Amino acid sequence: MAGKIKQQLDALIAEVAKNNPILVNTTRTKMILKGINPNKFTQDSPDDPVILEKLKDIAEAFGVKLR
Amino acid sequence: MSVKIASSINPDIIQAIQEVKKNIGSSDSRLIVYFSSMIYNQSELAKAMKEAFINADIIGCSTAGELISGKMLNNSVVVMALDSASIKDVKVEVIENLKENPDPQASFDSFEKYFGQAVSKLDYKKYYGLVLIDGLSNSEETLMERIGTKTSVHFIGGSAGDDLKFEKTYVFANGKVYSNAAVLVLVKSNTEFDILKTQSFSPLSETFIATKVNEEQREVLMLDGVDAIERYASAIKKSKEDAPASFMTYPLGVMIDDEPFVRSPQQLSGNGIKFYCNIAEGTELTLLESKDIVEDTKEAVQKKLREFGSISGLINFNCILRTLELKAKNEEDAYGMIFSDIPTIGFSTYGEEYIGHINQTSVMLVLK
Repeated sequence: MAGKIKQQLDALIAEVAKNNPILVNTTRTKMILKGINPNKFTQDSPDDPVILEKLKDIAEAFGVKLR
Repeated sequence: MSVKIASSINPDIIQAIQEVKKNIGSSDSRLIVYFSSMIYNQSELAKAMKEAFINADIIGCSTAGELISGKMLNNSVVVMALDSASIKDVKVEVIENLKENPDPQASFDSFEKYFGQAVSKLDYKKYYGLVLIDGLSNSEETLMERIGTKTSVHFIGGSAGDDLKFEKTYVFANGKVYSNAAVLVLVKSNTEFDILKTQSFSPLSETFIATKVNEEQREVLMLDGVDAIERYASAIKKSKEDAPASFMTYPLGVMIDDEPFVRSPQQLSGNGIKFYCNIAEGTELTLLESKDIVEDTKEAVQKKLREFGSISGLINFNCILRTLELKAKNEEDAYGMIFSDIPTIGFSTYGEEYIGHINQTSVMLVLK
């Protein structure tokens, strides 16, 4: 399976930044400093369970529940 | 006048405070920010500051060198007073037992109660935060990460120093002195503001992936699957033995939109490298090369000055490694002169805070 990381990253950034471009950039920066670079994932990126677990933890810290 | 500054190199606390008070005057200061050398008894200085500015909130920290408009100083205290023309409202909180629990939640609850709105909902264009952290607590990354997940308001600041003794650092809030603590300040600004981040490094073509790390110890054990020092040394074309001498000149950076967030190597740790801040496993890093600090900083400050028309106040959190480089090149006066026409205070930090914990950077709060 592929594409779930990209989908969840997009959902998380959209929820935190509420479409404000400055906040989108800040949120991306926060993610990159936590070790996940949103620019590195596409719809074709495999659903790596380690990354997905890390992403879930980051989302929880932001108070966002990912589906 | 919304922002006033003063400094003293008088080693006597009473006389130093008298000198500062005379220059600040009896304005209706809302917030006093001060940075002090370890030559002062920190508790006595904090009490004297509170007595001198009884109606203001007061924050500060110990340093590894101070800065005031026009000069870099040592063995001094530098003070900035902000009044209601600059600040609509301010709330100061202290996080104690920082190493054990670097959690800002209780402070944020207090901010919410005081400002009547959850910090997560506050407008980042109207509010800014200041954060001063025990520079030997190794807690900066966790605290900044947690702050960053709870609010869009930018908290900027620095890690307290102790004149390069690396024994104990202090943060101050309203007449009290703390170690193993952080001071958080939330300001509702009455003036436009911005944050400047300048690190004076250019990215080189070499990149690495941190493939094995010990985040708690701020160690990178492997880069690209090989021992970190071996990979780093080959990138800078030096032997493993000679490579550490180049740590300051060639740090690594996390590149975000062509801007490096600098991670400075500190020392060898076996075949790994210990850094001044942690690096998450899987992070892509870029080799950086130092540029001219004075020219780079001057350009950044002048650009902001042109944009704002005038700057009413500036607080500069400047990495001690930058200060050491300026000293080595005999450029401290030139650096201080960049700020000669701007009401400025600052200090040489053990780390800078902006979005995360960073190194070899100058982070500045700029008030219009």
